[in-house]
Amino acid sequence: MTSIGTGYDLSNSVFSPDGRNFQVEYAAKAVENGGTAIGIRCKDGVVLAVEKIITSKLLKPGANKRIATVDRHVGIVSAGLVPDGRHFVSRARDEAASWRSVYKGPIPVSALSNRLGSYVQAYTLYSSVRPFGVTAIVGGWDSEAELAVDGQVGSGPKSGSGGKVDGARAGGPGLYMIEPSGLYWGYYGAATGKGRQAAKAELEKLDLSSGNLSLVDAVKEAARIIYVAHEDSKDKDFELEMSWISSLDGPTHGRHEEVPKQLLEEAEKAAKRSLEGEDEEEEEVAKDGPNQGERMEE
Amino acid sequence: MTGFDFSNYNRNAALHAKGVPLPKATSTGTTIVGCIFDNGVVIAADTRATSGPIVADKNCEKLHYISPKIWCAGAGTAADTEFTTALISSNVELHSLSTGRDPRVITCMTMLKQHLFRYQGHIGAYLVVAGVDPTGTGLYTVHAHGSTDKLPYVTMGSGSLAAMSVFESTWKANLNREEAVELCAEAIKAGIFNDLGSGSNVDVCVIEKDKPTQLLRNYIKPNERGEKERNYRFPRGTTAYLNQKVISKEDMRKYVTVEEVSGDPNLMEVDS
Amino acid sequence: MVGHGASGMLGEDGIHVDMNHLKSGEVNMAINFKDGVILGADSRTTTGAYIANRVTDKLTQVHDTIWCCRSGSAADTQAVADIVSYHLNMYSITNNEAPSTQVAASLFQELCYENKDMLSAGIIIAGYDPRHGGQVYSIPLGGSLHKQPYSIGGSGSTYIYGYCDANWKENMTEEEGINFVRGALREAIKWDGSSGGVIRLVVLTAKGAQRHLYLPDTDYTGPGFTN
Repeated sequence: MTSIGTGYDLSNSVFSPDGRNFQVEYAAKAVENGGTAIGIRCKDGVVLAVEKIITSKLLKPGANKRIATVDRHVGIVSAGLVPDGRHFVSRARDEAASWRSVYKGPIPVSALSNRLGSYVQAYTLYSSVRPFGVTAIVGGWDSEAELAVDGQVGSGPKSGSGGKVDGARAGGPGLYMIEPSGLYWGYYGAATGKGRQAAKAELEKLDLSSGNLSLVDAVKEAARIIYVAHEDSKDKDFELEMSWISSLDGPTHGRHEEVPKQLLEEAEKAAKRSLEGEDEEEEEVAKDGPNQGERMEE
Repeated sequence: MTGFDFSNYNRNAALHAKGVPLPKATSTGTTIVGCIFDNGVVIAADTRATSGPIVADKNCEKLHYISPKIWCAGAGTAADTEFTTALISSNVELHSLSTGRDPRVITCMTMLKQHLFRYQGHIGAYLVVAGVDPTGTGLYTVHAHGSTDKLPYVTMGSGSLAAMSVFESTWKANLNREEAVELCAEAIKAGIFNDLGSGSNVDVCVIEKDKPTQLLRNYIKPNERGEKERNYRFPRGTTAYLNQKVISKEDMRKYVTVEEVSGDPNLMEVDS
Repeated sequence: MVGHGASGMLGEDGIHVDMNHLKSGEVNMAINFKDGVILGADSRTTTGAYIANRVTDKLTQVHDTIWCCRSGSAADTQAVADIVSYHLNMYSITNNEAPSTQVAASLFQELCYENKDMLSAGIIIAGYDPRHGGQVYSIPLGGSLHKQPYSIGGSGSTYIYGYCDANWKENMTEEEGINFVRGALREAIKWDGSSGGVIRLVVLTAKGAQRHLYLPDTDYTGPGFTN
């Protein structure tokens, strides 16, 4: 990285002569060291998963959650500085609540992501603040049903509203990733944190845009991908945390929830099994193939 | 010292309890009207200003300038119509300067209604807003509480009922300039003659597309003070007297004393 | 009109505010029908005993296919409708999609409930969108929100509860719907002194908004469709 040490990296809100904001790039570095977090969007729901590195044997297993519920239908997982992630989630909850108080209904995932993107971006503009040291994945389900206005009395005609256009598609899954710069995109599969490169490679293999992957399979894939992404830091212990949001007629009824213990264990077991299988294959390959060497940095 | 000063509150409450009436706001009993025609819009007003039962001004102006092609006729509290139109005129000009476009009647009407609504009717301005802008001709009424109406002919003020009767009986669609001016003047005259609050002369303002706006001040003066046929002056010698004494100029010395004032007359000068 | 020299002045009993201000919306209604919604209203605006406007348009557009019927204080309802209209326009820009009728209804309710002490506004909201079809909401004086098959409001509505109850059917055709609304409003105008003038209708369907006008000269039978 050229022009480091020229003074342009000391303050937020100052561009370097070649048009970069170093503080934002350093924030992205902080994210690269965080535990891998991924999100998978499939036709009938969204899965969020995170690799929680165990930093002390004294930490209570299963406590210290890293995936947060923002509103009934939205969850957020982040990689990077955990306290920054908590503040980010707190802001997301405020935004969701504010939307509810004005519009008397749940915030669309796209609108929430847009507001959070704007919020994060504002932290790149001022010298008095530093950018967020997190990349967050926002997953949610916009209800496909007709929503009532919160607090309304009555429900209109018994025969239902007239003039509805058949097959007018509404609602569905939403998955967005917001970076420290404020940049955000919508994704079929999103990955961030230390093992993102491996995770992205695995996500691409899933062919998510075809819509063939079911939500339960996506849970299993998510577990497997976190395990694959952990391969590079095998020396450290980790815990897998997963949450999901299904369609209204699915297992979570449009709500963001932890993946049930039984399914989580099943997915983890399958993930370990597939890794063991892979190791054997890899060993075989390693016998006659040349070593791939270090993976390239982005 | 900043903030509100409530020191007169108790005094006012005590005076009020004693039966001292509160001061009255000056308001104008008024007739104002407006009417669109094929190439623009006419507004008109009477010229009487009242303060309770007293005619305070026999020839006041109730047609207010907003911009060259937007004018306002005002009824209600005189000070309020004056200051409200002046304020909005200012803001309309600033808006027009910042957008680089000619101001629109609907913009002016919206600014007026939002201003008046904010004051919940306490600003007693009842206005007829009229003008020509790039979108066409506009004619609106704005009430003190902030409601507005858009109509081809409108009347307001205490003489509005009299004026409306003229419109309702003689208005027709597609008037030309002369017909519209005559109709408005007729409506104002109905107010002048039939409403106690209205009187004196008729002011008219004609706003036309692609033509300079014309303010026809005192377009009609139906209440000209006529020459009095007789007067109350007494002819010389009307008063009888019993005797007379003539004092000559010279004799005046006997009745006055003259005193010389000493000192420098320059000392009297006040600093310049 | 208002003010005959008596508005906003200080009377012997303290500050006197003119409570004789414009009242609009003496009868209005909105209904669901097979293909959407129909709104209807008379056109009378009064100040005490004087008709300040005999051809008022009380059917106010706040978005492409979301309209409202205003009744109560003209100033208050116009101000509320203007604010909602602004927010709905902002909504459609920031969210890249047209607001639903629910969004409009909740904005109206927020304003009417939070400012209930300062407002006298009775508003009926009716809108059409392809996802939810036609919907009718009513917000009476206190600021509560009611989703209804059809809604009637204004002083003249008291005269047509019976008419509406007897003649209401679900899933009417457009023609039946128009006749129902027009018939009800005609009765209200007939019996209520503070309702009158012309009947204005707006039909909201997938085709967009269509206006109708019915004049007293023809006993409210025509001319009908106007745009």
